[in-house]
Amino acid sequence: MASLITCPHCGLRPKEEFAIRGDASRGRPEPMDSDEAWHDYVYVRANPRGRTLEHWHHVAGCRRFLVVERDTATHEVYSVVDAAEFARRAAQ
Amino acid sequence: MVRDYNNRHALEQKLRSAPTPSAADHLMVGHWRTMATVLARTGQAEAVRQAIASVPELSLRFSGPGEWLVVSEVEAPSGLVRRLGELCDGRAHVVDQSDGRVVFRLAGPNVRSILAKGIGLDLHPAAFTIGGSANALCGHIPVNLARTDEDTFELIVPRSYAESLFDDLTKMGRAFDLTAAFSD
Repeated sequence: MASLITCPHCGLRPKEEFAIRGDASRGRPEPMDSDEAWHDYVYVRANPRGRTLEHWHHVAGCRRFLVVERDTATHEVYSVVDAAEFARRAAQ
Repeated sequence: MVRDYNNRHALEQKLRSAPTPSAADHLMVGHWRTMATVLARTGQAEAVRQAIASVPELSLRFSGPGEWLVVSEVEAPSGLVRRLGELCDGRAHVVDQSDGRVVFRLAGPNVRSILAKGIGLDLHPAAFTIGGSANALCGHIPVNLARTDEDTFELIVPRSYAESLFDDLTKMGRAFDLTAAFSD
């Protein structure tokens, strides 16, 4: 696992300060979407090899949610952005 | 049943023994220190920071974007909250933390070697400048670390962690004959 994360608010930090909160690439379904869509969202997890987007929570630092883009095979970290900033970019 | 509320310091049991003369590296535990968290409203972070930074006796400790721990050596808890309320003028939420946190002040020539045993931050004088502060992990305990002087660091922890952090710091400092006492 990537062992050093550059938090946009705190700088370079060890991974022990973070909690991984899951896939950041998929959005939440609408309230009235089908049961299948909700079942997929709540229970079905991919286990990708390669580049992934994940929510990381900087629990022991600034307590902000971050979106970390990293490679699960090579442990390389490509980018780290605040989740609010990530959502703003996605909305555009 | 009614019980008297006994306002004890979190480390009263640990620091009971008679004070020994302090060595070169010394850990001071603030008996009662006044502090409050300030959380700025959206878009008001810079205005709030400037308002508080304009008062020299208030020390700002970074704990997140738009969020600080404000420490005062002179004010009483109620006075600090009132003062911050006036300074922020509705642009921030202010919550008193004086009874909820304990301040450790670690000073001495080996302070960086001691802290490096538990904290994964670059503590080099050029990287962690005087007045700098950060939230970090000390072992498994979340602390707010601040550099207040050339070789002086302050660690602020929730009071329920104070005993564990005290034990950890004494172990981390044993190789340097670290001594500990209440500061007042």
